[in-house]
Amino acid sequence: MAKLLSIRDLKIDIPKEALLLADKMLKDLESSKRPVLEAVKTSLDNSLYNSKLGYLTPGDKVVRTELNVSSVQKLARVVFVLEILLRNLEIGSVNTKRELYYMCKGLIKGNSRLRALDFDDQPESDAIIDFIGDMLEVYREELNCFANDRGGQTYSQQLVVTETMPDGDKAIVDLSSLGTSPFQPKNKPQALRLKAKKKIDFCLIVESEGTANTLVTMGFTKRNNCIVMGAQGVPSNAVRGWSKLIQDELDVPMYFFGDLDAYTMQNIFRTLKAGSAASLIRNSDFSAPNVKFLGVLPEDVKTYDLPHYKVRESDPVEARALKKAKDALENDPFFLDKKNKKLSDILRWLIKEKIRCEQQSFFSVDPRDPIKTEKIILEKIKRGSYI
Amino acid sequence: MSKITKSSTAEYFAKNLQQVGFSSPLKAVLTTLKEAVDNSLDACESAGILPDLLVEIAKVGIGSTKNTDLIRIVVEDNGPGIDSEDIAKVYGEYLASSKFGRGQCSRGQQGIGISAATTWAQMTNARGVNVISKTKKMRKAMSAQVDVDIKSNTGILKKKETLDWDRDCGTRVEFILDGRIQLNGDGGLLTYIEGTVLVNPHLTMTYKLVENDFVTVNRVSTEVPEIPEATLPHPHTFKLGEFITHSTLFGKTTLSKFLKTGFSRISDQSISDFVKQGMPKNLIEKSVSSLSEEDFKKAFMAVQATNLMPPSTKSVLTVGEEALSKSITRLGEVDFFAVVTRKPCICDFKPVVVEVALARFKDRHQTGDSSVQLLRFANRVPLQFDKSGCAITWAIESVNWKAYGLQQPKDSLPLGPYIFAISIVSPFIKFKNASKETIDASDELVSEIRLALIQAGQKLSRHIRKEVKEADLERKLAHIEQFGPILVECLARIVNAPEARKKRAEEGLRKLLGRDSEEAIADLEAAESKLLEQKIREKKKGVGRDEIEIDIISSSDLVEEASQPQGTKKTTTTKKTTSKKST
Repeated sequence: MAKLLSIRDLKIDIPKEALLLADKMLKDLESSKRPVLEAVKTSLDNSLYNSKLGYLTPGDKVVRTELNVSSVQKLARVVFVLEILLRNLEIGSVNTKRELYYMCKGLIKGNSRLRALDFDDQPESDAIIDFIGDMLEVYREELNCFANDRGGQTYSQQLVVTETMPDGDKAIVDLSSLGTSPFQPKNKPQALRLKAKKKIDFCLIVESEGTANTLVTMGFTKRNNCIVMGAQGVPSNAVRGWSKLIQDELDVPMYFFGDLDAYTMQNIFRTLKAGSAASLIRNSDFSAPNVKFLGVLPEDVKTYDLPHYKVRESDPVEARALKKAKDALENDPFFLDKKNKKLSDILRWLIKEKIRCEQQSFFSVDPRDPIKTEKIILEKIKRGSYI
Repeated sequence: MSKITKSSTAEYFAKNLQQVGFSSPLKAVLTTLKEAVDNSLDACESAGILPDLLVEIAKVGIGSTKNTDLIRIVVEDNGPGIDSEDIAKVYGEYLASSKFGRGQCSRGQQGIGISAATTWAQMTNARGVNVISKTKKMRKAMSAQVDVDIKSNTGILKKKETLDWDRDCGTRVEFILDGRIQLNGDGGLLTYIEGTVLVNPHLTMTYKLVENDFVTVNRVSTEVPEIPEATLPHPHTFKLGEFITHSTLFGKTTLSKFLKTGFSRISDQSISDFVKQGMPKNLIEKSVSSLSEEDFKKAFMAVQATNLMPPSTKSVLTVGEEALSKSITRLGEVDFFAVVTRKPCICDFKPVVVEVALARFKDRHQTGDSSVQLLRFANRVPLQFDKSGCAITWAIESVNWKAYGLQQPKDSLPLGPYIFAISIVSPFIKFKNASKETIDASDELVSEIRLALIQAGQKLSRHIRKEVKEADLERKLAHIEQFGPILVECLARIVNAPEARKKRAEEGLRKLLGRDSEEAIADLEAAESKLLEQKIREKKKGVGRDEIEIDIISSSDLVEEASQPQGTKKTTTTKKTTSKKST
């Protein structure tokens, strides 16, 4: 099978690195020394933010796992899964995390001596795969472990995508020729090259897939030289890598249009713009720092008299989002940075007012005009009403 | 205007039996048993007799009320017996009590319970209670049926006769009434019997419940608890009206003498303190019979405003840690337990003592994920209903049991195969209702119970910690065996290592993990020695575990005899005694 196109220009050779690591562990054991595995600590307290760079990067903190009676199970599992992943790399086979979970189960089932390693549930094997990625500082895709490509459906009359296939062939996709179908980006942005048939004025990333579809169906992409993308909630790796690609290759203004609430601001918009604490080692390729927050902005609620709701603090999900927002204002380097003060002001406003306003509320402004939302979006872009 | 009529106490209770524990056929059986056993135990205690009780409960037919059975409840004791002329009063008259308001920690207080049981039997089966009783003075025992005359609140004797009874003294009561039987669970008869057995180490009880065999639980203490003399009431527990009524018992004595002799904790010094707090000086030497209500009010308010010594705690009694720890082994094979008897203290100006026994049993079929079995006691009487509103339950829920190694959902009872027995003894327990099912939760009482629970929890945690460490060691040893070889094998495969390297690594791994397991062994030893220290301390206090005996008498041996009063027929029975040794 042909070797898969690499995600980025890897500085390390994974099989070689893994071999060195295993050899070191074995040597330690031979001399009765405790082997230690170290992985980047992927949490907010180890996240740094530099507004010039625009995304969250890892600090110096590491998670050390030293061999002892309590950790011997984890280490045995790490080495066991590592062996499977190395084999996948060798033969060019790819899998999802769920498939890997079942592959582990299959191998354990066939060998009674391995029974103690068995995973009760997928989160257990996922944690081991993530640890291996953090330890080698590589993306899971570089370990040939792919996620399904959720979200990112893209519409444009001007965009042309050239994809380099695993066998070296090239596929050219003109988005204007797809009819009503969107282009679905795969999570290997480096295999794609973008070109504009005509100057593209902006890219609009809509939180709700449904609303993106409505805008396009009503002619948004026909009337405007633009790209419209549906994010489908928290952006997946595919959406994040695709957004980064659009930013780098086309250099067009990018706007995010979503709900006005603490969850959207922290989990959706922040992840799209600057990456997340859980994916510290990959934020450089999976975030688009140029994306602006078009709304819904607090001022829009007033300007357009948008219907909004009180946050129900009795609802554990909403209460947690508010608590996380307070936390973010104190601990999240992205919101602590002066450059993002206007964004953190929105969080502060949300905590104070305890209200939420959805992106679809724009449809209340003039219910008889089917393209009123488009008009508002364009007006806001023209006015510079974004952050 | 409608006519105002006056009804008797008996009429009131006959219409409101639910208030005194007869709110359902299920509770009727339990309450009847409880009242009869309470009376027997109180009588034995007041006469200094070690109680031997026989309890028999059987279904004898279908009840006249819908969905009920006809139940026979027999309770027989070796107590002092009741004089012939008192039998009608005891069983057929409400509020006829030898204990009312005495300020002692007896089980019964007002004289309502057993008369209510007679009323229930009379209302559901048209017959009151059958009583056989003999005092030492009597040559023959007296047998009679007692009914309550509802209109006049008096007892009526029917079918009165004398009979030979081959014992010095004792009482046997037999109720036949409509009810339903539940053996296990919070409101179960067995739960009641176990509770009673637990807090009465000096009791020997033989019981037969429905179809089950006779079971005899022998006493583990030969000391009859001495009920302390009542102390005088503390003035801060009084209200104005009570204060005035109390004074009428003292006739023409002066106010100062009334205060000093009618209450505890009032001295000459206190009298002058009362004056400082606004009691008119001229009242002190005035006769209480000549005081006006206004005078009483002034005096009462001054008394309430003055700081007095808290009441004496001499009037409470305890089961004691030693007796409790012996008694707990009578409920089954104990895995481990912790008992705590607090020193008597004052809660809400009333003397109170709290005792706690926490135990885990080997053979009680309790599951680990259900709540602990809670046994609540007030003055050594099990409380079996409405636990959620009880001070004891509140106190348990307020403790963080996770700290002692037990699982506990938020604001709930902890989980696990444990029995939590908590006993409150006080001459003035404040119940929430007349049927004495729930103790009113005052802050002071809850925090006192909480302290006892925390002490017991700490003791219990030493046992649990030892177990945790044992499991930890076992898990660690298993981990070494299971994962060590896999780790080395996988590593050797990845680097394609020769057999010799693999062997060296295996040895190195064994050494490393051996060091860890040594640490785990040391941890376990530390936990064990802490537990040992506790055991030595307890042994010094006499809280240990001895061999116990549980007699099981086959039902076929006794079935005939059971329906007869004990001793009326001379039959030799064979007892099969099994002895259980607890470790």
